[in-house]
Amino acid sequence: MKVFVNDIPIEILPGMTVRHALISADLFRETESSKKVYDEWGNEVGLDGALAEGAKIYVR
Amino acid sequence: MKNNICIARITIFCLFLLLALTASYAQAEHTVIRILYLNDFHGFAEPYKPFGSDENLGGIAYLSAKLNSLRNETDSLLLSAGDMIQGNNWANLSQGEAVIELMNAMKFDAMVLGNHEFDFGQDVLKKRISEAKFPVLGANVEGLDLLKPYVIKEVAGVKIGIIGIVTDDTPVTTHPGNVAGLAFIYPEDSAQKYIKELKGRTDIIVVLSHIGYSADRRLSEKVEGINVIVGGHSHTKALSPTIINKTIVLQAWEHAKALGVLDLTVEDGRIEKYEGHLEEIRPEPGRDDKNITAIVEKYREKVDTVLNETVGEAGVDFDGENVREKETNLGDLIADIMRETALADIALINGGTIRTSIKKGELKVKHIYAVLPFDNYIVAVRLTGKQIREALEHGVSAIEEGAGRFPQVSRLSFTYSSAEKPGSRVKEVLIAGNPIDLNKEYSVATNDFLAAGGDGYKAFGDAVKSSRDFSVVGGTMKGEKLTYSDSGRWLRDVVIEYIKGKRIISPAIEGRTTETP
Repeated sequence: MKVFVNDIPIEILPGMTVRHALISADLFRETESSKKVYDEWGNEVGLDGALAEGAKIYVR
Repeated sequence: MKNNICIARITIFCLFLLLALTASYAQAEHTVIRILYLNDFHGFAEPYKPFGSDENLGGIAYLSAKLNSLRNETDSLLLSAGDMIQGNNWANLSQGEAVIELMNAMKFDAMVLGNHEFDFGQDVLKKRISEAKFPVLGANVEGLDLLKPYVIKEVAGVKIGIIGIVTDDTPVTTHPGNVAGLAFIYPEDSAQKYIKELKGRTDIIVVLSHIGYSADRRLSEKVEGINVIVGGHSHTKALSPTIINKTIVLQAWEHAKALGVLDLTVEDGRIEKYEGHLEEIRPEPGRDDKNITAIVEKYREKVDTVLNETVGEAGVDFDGENVREKETNLGDLIADIMRETALADIALINGGTIRTSIKKGELKVKHIYAVLPFDNYIVAVRLTGKQIREALEHGVSAIEEGAGRFPQVSRLSFTYSSAEKPGSRVKEVLIAGNPIDLNKEYSVATNDFLAAGGDGYKAFGDAVKSSRDFSVVGGTMKGEKLTYSDSGRWLRDVVIEYIKGKRIISPAIEGRTTETP
């Protein structure tokens, strides 16, 4: 399943979550600081949130 | 005189009429109903510090106190958009019974199943549904008779049809055995079917959805006639309602860290106005719902009891200290359990998964929880011999630093030399005693962290990239590269079940990993 983290395509397995996409993009540690994860509409999303094919998330 | 009496009568009549009309208008204008909503609770009953936060958030007893005060203000409905009973130990150790007791006490009006409601299997799920004093919905789930497709609730004279929709990805997000015999219909088709069935019988249609925020938006674009979607699954913190094609789309984050509030002003069965927001929940001393606190504490005590339960005996000391630099008997044991569970050819995990040792003697649940504190689950992926060799090279590339990537393996043995430079350290690799075939594919059990590329293990990611098709056929996950995935069962719980079946465990180091000069 392809998702996008900070506009970079990442492949994860079905059932994997925001957490896995960040691990795959090597950005998980960023969330240890004050950075949060947002969807393409600007809503914050939880690390255990489900992702759909083509989902776009941003760490900022 | 007669005329005066007549005029007076007409005047009084007109006044009454005016009053009646004013009262009726005022009533119509002020029919406000409140929808309160929660999703993706995952058993997080107690406040906790989310990753990256310095502040405690959530706490279901604090949420319930807020809920009570909001309910006192106007006529309300309380809805759950799913994924309630599985996740945190507080819920898992009673297989979700604790959560249903909470929800009954909080007087939920309806709930839709989330994919994780299936994680304890169908027998447990049926028991939980039968314990619930509120309807449990799943319009697009075929084969589970206890589910209702919808329910009609009347609030302040307004008839509200609530249709429950579950993600059709459920078969690939839980163990296939948990959904055996069930069919998950495409959400849009089921929503359309039941909207048609409810036409003329309700004033407002609410879809209680567990399909994720982007799918909710798509549903509102494609399906006419939905007034409100109360969603879950993507753990989206939708601070205010969004309108898409006349549908109000909502979602209230996760883990009881927020309670969703939507006020609808309804006139003649039509929504004239809406206002919504999230109430963020923080533990404020003394501002909890004492009835709910009592339930939380009751099950916390039960958790403590379960954690102290003896599940077997360690016949030897289990070494979890040296897992980042060499093969250990605890690494072997856990890798073996993972391989056997996933019916894989081999297993490979990062030593960093294992956090502590266990002394010879009684084996308690809390010992295994201390060894495996992370919420990891088992995944098996097909890798070529070449990719396995690359993974091993990566695993031994930072031994000097004591990095967590050091591999603990099952049904695989290899030699390496740390005198060589990283990338050229692995020498002989055997699988089940035979030299590895670099071109052959082997199924490799691991954890979801490594499968996502954690600790720098790129081999799994590369395999996933080249795999496109995943489906459940005959109760088994089928895919080009993915052969097993059970996100609903933490690795530590699998290990506990295994130990319970064996009672006395005495793993020995078998020479799976050998350092050569």
